[in-house]
Amino acid sequence: MKDSLEFTLLEQSLVLSIHKSIFWKEQESLIVSDLHLGKAGHFRKAGIPISSKIHTEDLDRLDLLLNKYQPKRLIMLGDLFHSDKNNEWEAFSDWRSQYQNLKITLTLGNHDIIETVNYKKINVTVVDELLLAPFFMSHHPTENANGYNLAGHLHPGISLKGKARQGVRIPCFYFGEKGALMPAFGNFTGYVAISPGQLDKVFAVTPTSVITIQ
Amino acid sequence: MENLIKDGKLRFVKKGWKPFDFQVDTWRAFLEGKSGLLNAPTGSGKTYALWVPCLLEYMREYPTDYRKPRKNGLRILWITPLRALARDIQLAMEGMCTDFEIPWEIGIRTGDTSTSDRAKQKRSAPECLVTTPESLHLLLSQKEAVNYFKSLTTIIVDEWHELLGTKRGVQIELAFSRLRATNPGNLKIWGVSATIGNLDQAREVLLGPTLFPGSVAIKANIHKKIEVISVLPDEAEKFPWGGHLGVKMMDKVLPIIEKSKTTLLFTNTRSQTEIWYQQILHAAPHLSGAMAMHHGSMDNNVRKWVEEALHAGKLQLVVCTSSLDLGVDFRPVDTVIQVGGPKGVARFMQRAGRSGHQPGATSKIYFVPTHSLELIEGAALRSAIDKDYYESRKPLEKCMDVLVQYLVTLAVGEGFIPDVILQEVKQTYCFSSLSQEEWQWALQFITTGGSSLGEYDEFSKVEIIEGVYRVTDRRKSTMHRLSIGTIVGDPSLRVKYLTGGNIGTVEESFASKLTRGDVFWFAGRNLEFIMIKDMTVLVRKAKKKRGLIPRWGGGRMPLSSQLSILIRQKLEQAALGDFSDIELETILPIIELQKRWSIVPDAGKLLIEKVESRFGHHLFIYPFEGRFVHEVLGGLVAYRIGKLAPISFSIAMNDYGFELLTDEPIPIEEALELDLFSTTNLLEDIHHSINESEMARRRFRDIASIAGLVFHGFPGKTISNKHLQANSQIIYKVFEDYDKENLLLKQAMDEVITLQMEQSRLLEAVDRINSQQITLMYPPRPSPFAFPIMVESLRERLTTESIEDRVIKLQQQLEKFADSQG
Repeated sequence: MKDSLEFTLLEQSLVLSIHKSIFWKEQESLIVSDLHLGKAGHFRKAGIPISSKIHTEDLDRLDLLLNKYQPKRLIMLGDLFHSDKNNEWEAFSDWRSQYQNLKITLTLGNHDIIETVNYKKINVTVVDELLLAPFFMSHHPTENANGYNLAGHLHPGISLKGKARQGVRIPCFYFGEKGALMPAFGNFTGYVAISPGQLDKVFAVTPTSVITIQ
Repeated sequence: MENLIKDGKLRFVKKGWKPFDFQVDTWRAFLEGKSGLLNAPTGSGKTYALWVPCLLEYMREYPTDYRKPRKNGLRILWITPLRALARDIQLAMEGMCTDFEIPWEIGIRTGDTSTSDRAKQKRSAPECLVTTPESLHLLLSQKEAVNYFKSLTTIIVDEWHELLGTKRGVQIELAFSRLRATNPGNLKIWGVSATIGNLDQAREVLLGPTLFPGSVAIKANIHKKIEVISVLPDEAEKFPWGGHLGVKMMDKVLPIIEKSKTTLLFTNTRSQTEIWYQQILHAAPHLSGAMAMHHGSMDNNVRKWVEEALHAGKLQLVVCTSSLDLGVDFRPVDTVIQVGGPKGVARFMQRAGRSGHQPGATSKIYFVPTHSLELIEGAALRSAIDKDYYESRKPLEKCMDVLVQYLVTLAVGEGFIPDVILQEVKQTYCFSSLSQEEWQWALQFITTGGSSLGEYDEFSKVEIIEGVYRVTDRRKSTMHRLSIGTIVGDPSLRVKYLTGGNIGTVEESFASKLTRGDVFWFAGRNLEFIMIKDMTVLVRKAKKKRGLIPRWGGGRMPLSSQLSILIRQKLEQAALGDFSDIELETILPIIELQKRWSIVPDAGKLLIEKVESRFGHHLFIYPFEGRFVHEVLGGLVAYRIGKLAPISFSIAMNDYGFELLTDEPIPIEEALELDLFSTTNLLEDIHHSINESEMARRRFRDIASIAGLVFHGFPGKTISNKHLQANSQIIYKVFEDYDKENLLLKQAMDEVITLQMEQSRLLEAVDRINSQQITLMYPPRPSPFAFPIMVESLRERLTTESIEDRVIKLQQQLEKFADSQG
């Protein structure tokens, strides 16, 4: 059982983790996508009781990854915060303050609707897209002449079928010809099944290991 | 009072009618101030049995000036399970009012009522309101609910057997607990029910502990003779498969239609209705214009048109689903055909009763099996009718989702004081055993979100203002009102011609798979998909002949316990060589092959078959208990075998048995030695197995929606629910991980066992199995009994023809093999 798997793409070493992150060795950067923090609070405000512990555990997992890989930079591919500000934003701000030396860059997603000044206050750089050759990072999947696209947004999952009608659906990393999709990092998210082409690479994420599917 | 009743009779005579004894009996009990239950079939004049005394009572109150209009307030609530019936009931009531010279207003309050009509009803209440359980709860969510109902004297629930045993029935119980409390004194409650096995309990649940003592049960003694005729295939296929949905029997069915004046052809699903309609049109084009289709997803106006045309005798054939089980009687109907097993005696009787309205006439019902093994059901149904076997409708218990919804409904309305409401709620059958902890949990769930400190900060739904629980936020109130109800389906989209004109609704999951130019059959028309716009599927008439058939959710009905007992008896009969039933004689070749490869189990045996095929290793077990029991038993057996060796199974089932399929050998011999069906730790093991399967999660889908955790919005109504989308699966997982004690999770688990089937039925089945001798057989190929189960999972996904072809090929291969064996 391996809780991570190293994958070489365009001569770059990418370490895919069961915690749905990529550690990019050459750039010493940790990449995650679609945290959807604050979603539980947003639901609670609307009268749907979802425990805030769900996001505490999201941040715990992030702690674990930062300790393990000691990256210089954390890149978030959008949908960091689910909706309007609520108390869970304060929790995230507190968390942020523990990592003074960590550079955090967020490529804005469709859910990131809070005023950008908030990010500034807690020292998170906000961009629409980020070109870090050979990769072009964005929230929405896109094609770009300058780089291979790394994106989130879709929350990809894969259906696995075996003999005797056995089947499961689990989150996955997807690497296509022009771009890749990250699984959603947040606990309070679902996933949508993708149908990969024959030449695409797919790595499924189980609670204990990252498995090469194709 | 006798004078009053005489007066009522006279007015009947003036119309040229003679009241039945049961009608007069009901008038009398009603006028004595009693509550009760009237057991009468659809189309027997039950409306007049209960509506007339409402009028007579009024005449008694105002003997001299009942003809004068006055502001009476709302006196009578008439609740119907089907809003489509409301208009007919209203017309019948208005007609009677005219005859009695009583200037009452009869209002309709359902989901179809316009906003202006609602406002009018609110300003000045009609004397009688015809409504549904959902709309009744909407009325309770109004700010002046108690005042609105203060003149109420009588509540009548039509077709109570349809509501009992469902969450809509629980809604009725809750609403009545409120109305009984706010209208102490002389409130009467009456129900009308078709025959079911537990009529006394039905009355008790409806009336509640204050009105039940001293209430009456009245039975309409209209005994109808029913004749069941199975339509027999020329040759019984040895490997029965229902994939063709019975249309293979078309040649036998058409002559029946041809020689009848008006035929109702019932199928079990909406898709099946579409297919049959299409196939009949194809086989008998001259019927075009004289035939129509009727199912729940078709546009209201079209359905209404069909009903009227049927009533007027303009149609020779209507292909329909349970949507025509209830409602106004269709006098011209002289023939009823049932395609596929109706799965229950009561339902079958109800359908049979739709024909032969002339006094003394025999109701004939033709049963068309979708596969030859289903013929056993025909023989079983005939025995059931001979023996007067009816299923019971078991009332539900402790539906926390409905309770939570109800509490919010009250909070949206006038607000509530917990102690008061707890007393009322405990009076209902559903919540009579509600514990203090469970009650506290429900209150907490709607006020603070949960018990864990800090985890639920910023939660807001119901507020406590000076001891009164209220919802003050208007947006939340609106969202809640839109979500009131317990019928949860896939979100559906309206289907409309590009040029205008509604056709009906299809489920989003079907619509989302369509691409421009796709052709699909719907409401008997061939439609070309253009696009989805504003929650509407836009289509035009298609030129292409073939198309997809939409599939609608809503599971198939399981075999009732009554019918499964009879089917086991019929099998036993066949096992002993008695083929006196024509149905059994027809399937003799199947029985013989089954005997050659395996056995036909008698009552003392439980048959298990172990087979290997290119699909994997199969285990077939045949308890003959209905698909719901089999689903749970399948999970249990898989779990217990899994304890011996880590194997994951896929489980398929039908009403006769279930299959475990896996890619490794199954150590069944070893498992049997360890007592696979032992009652030790039975419920515990079942809980484990449910946890590992999709069953509880599937149940949670409805629960989450009813309890207000998932907001669907409505077709055509675009309510902004920005950033609040989360499906019930995600919420289920969140609760499992962070709120294990959540009672809604527990409910999902309980529902698998109780709603899916009565717990007692499961335990009885296990007891029965334990008394049987287990017979393990190793047939050379999947046996005739096994085949329909094996293809069941393929059939589930039968959307492309290639799968159909595959099944037919498989069928042919097996036939060939059986023949080669001599």
